[in-house]
Amino acid sequence: MTLIFGLLVATSAAAGAADIVAQESPPTTPPQSSPAPEPSAVVIDKQYAQGLLGKEVRSAANEDMGRVVDVIVDRSGGVRAAIIDFGGFLGVGSRKIAVDWSVLNFSAIADKRSVVLLALTRDQVKAAPEYKDGKPIVVLGAAGSLNPLPPLDPDQRPAK
Amino acid sequence: MAHAPNRAIAVEPAPVHEPQPKPSRASLRGLDGFVFFVADVQTGFGPFIAVYLTAQAWTQLDIGVILSVGGLAALAGQIPGGAIVDAARSERMVAGIAIVLIGLSALSLAIWPIYPVVLAAAVVHALASCALGPAMAAISLGLVGHPGIGERLGRNARFASIGNGMAAGAMGMAGYLLSNRSVFIVTALLVIPALLMLVRIRGDEIDIARAHGGVLAAPRTGRRLSDLWHLGAQRPFLVLAAGIALFHLANASMLPIMARIVTTRAGDWATVLIAACIVVPQIMVALVSPWVGRQAQLIGRRPLLILALSALVLRGALFTFVRDPVLLVIIQALDGVAAAGVGVMVPLVVADVTRGTGHFNLALGMMGTAIGLGASVSTTVSGYITDHYGSAAAFAGLAFAAALSLLWMWSMMPETRPRAGIAPEP
Repeated sequence: MTLIFGLLVATSAAAGAADIVAQESPPTTPPQSSPAPEPSAVVIDKQYAQGLLGKEVRSAANEDMGRVVDVIVDRSGGVRAAIIDFGGFLGVGSRKIAVDWSVLNFSAIADKRSVVLLALTRDQVKAAPEYKDGKPIVVLGAAGSLNPLPPLDPDQRPAK
Repeated sequence: MAHAPNRAIAVEPAPVHEPQPKPSRASLRGLDGFVFFVADVQTGFGPFIAVYLTAQAWTQLDIGVILSVGGLAALAGQIPGGAIVDAARSERMVAGIAIVLIGLSALSLAIWPIYPVVLAAAVVHALASCALGPAMAAISLGLVGHPGIGERLGRNARFASIGNGMAAGAMGMAGYLLSNRSVFIVTALLVIPALLMLVRIRGDEIDIARAHGGVLAAPRTGRRLSDLWHLGAQRPFLVLAAGIALFHLANASMLPIMARIVTTRAGDWATVLIAACIVVPQIMVALVSPWVGRQAQLIGRRPLLILALSALVLRGALFTFVRDPVLLVIIQALDGVAAAGVGVMVPLVVADVTRGTGHFNLALGMMGTAIGLGASVSTTVSGYITDHYGSAAAFAGLAFAAALSLLWMWSMMPETRPRAGIAPEP
């Protein structure tokens, strides 16, 4: 039960994450340009990269896991988690849940299906605490570290 | 079983024997169909818009703005919408324009999901709905008159909930099998059968004065503002408005909170269970609302209002304790009882108290404002309680609000059924 309180409450970690090695797309980020007035431009083919917002999320068993509605970054610019809008019927009963960036796989983001793969099942995601703007974020980690997140955690201290 | 009819007050000097109009079968079936397809069309709007815009890569903030603006327009448009229907020479025309505007909103949502278009569509849909609701009630009253309105409103509620239930199922399938966009295209297409049904209603059978509740009306004074005041000062009307605002404060956020709980507990089955939670009350309304309408003419409005409010209290109390997702779905049937009771009784009581004023639809708009206020407070308050004290506390709070509305109606609401109705002598 590793709960780190701070800007993020993150359940680490890579225990059972061997099966979900994220395959990063080949193109490298543009080099930070020197004081030169002309910013450099890089062309990335659409089969390598895609916008993320609104993309469908599916589990390994091809279950519908919702859609990506936001991305959480920390102060150092690292991407920590994606917020998915999970569950519901015609918009009723859906919940926003933060999942760790490392349990997402983007290999199918730019192909025909255009989906993000999540290495968790519906049963693992369903009970996660809801993401609320302005509250400490409880991030759902890899499959092995699910238990640390009981549905009701009374010891959630405010971040401030 | 002499059930204290001493509460019955004569709202109007009303024991005038209104002749029972005999509208044609074509008109009545046309109204059935129109109500059905309007309910179909309206199902696509609502929470589903958020799902659709999310898939169009909209941010949650922008979606929130659209929903809020739509909600505000729906609130602000109620009274003007009712006034327009009261002033209209043809209720069918108002209803036709409104449903066409709603269809165009759906079409533009499907074709151009960009900010200005979606914002305009949300506002147009909200305002058109504000006129459409009273227009359907006015067509009903204009066709059947006060003697038949209870039964007719019951029948309307039946067809509306069949439409809602079937559309929820069909649109869920369309969203799953085709695309989210297809839902709005289907919505827009459903406007065509709605219009065909509207045309079947014979315009000459809708008595305009009757449609506005004005059979006994004195000549217009033209002082609209003072009319508004007189309406607002009617005690039964005010009591009902306050009680129904409280009812919706208790009712509006129960399903959303419950559905989120089902999502946390049920995993694979959650979607099906939530669909059932939406459809089961609709089936219930379809089953009981004609009975509710008939009983209202026989035993009066008050007992049925009390029954509906009791069902809500019971539902809130059960939600506080029950954990099993399947049981939750069964409890949802109570939602149908409450919805049928309130859905039929509110326009019926409004028809009672506005009899002879010519302001049936304006009064419906005022009632709609009270309902909208109650519902929007509900979401805010229950959201706050859920965040701080959990969902059980939220349900307990909502059940408490429901109990207050029951107590209020029980102690304050008079019977408004006209004494010289079809009912047996007391």
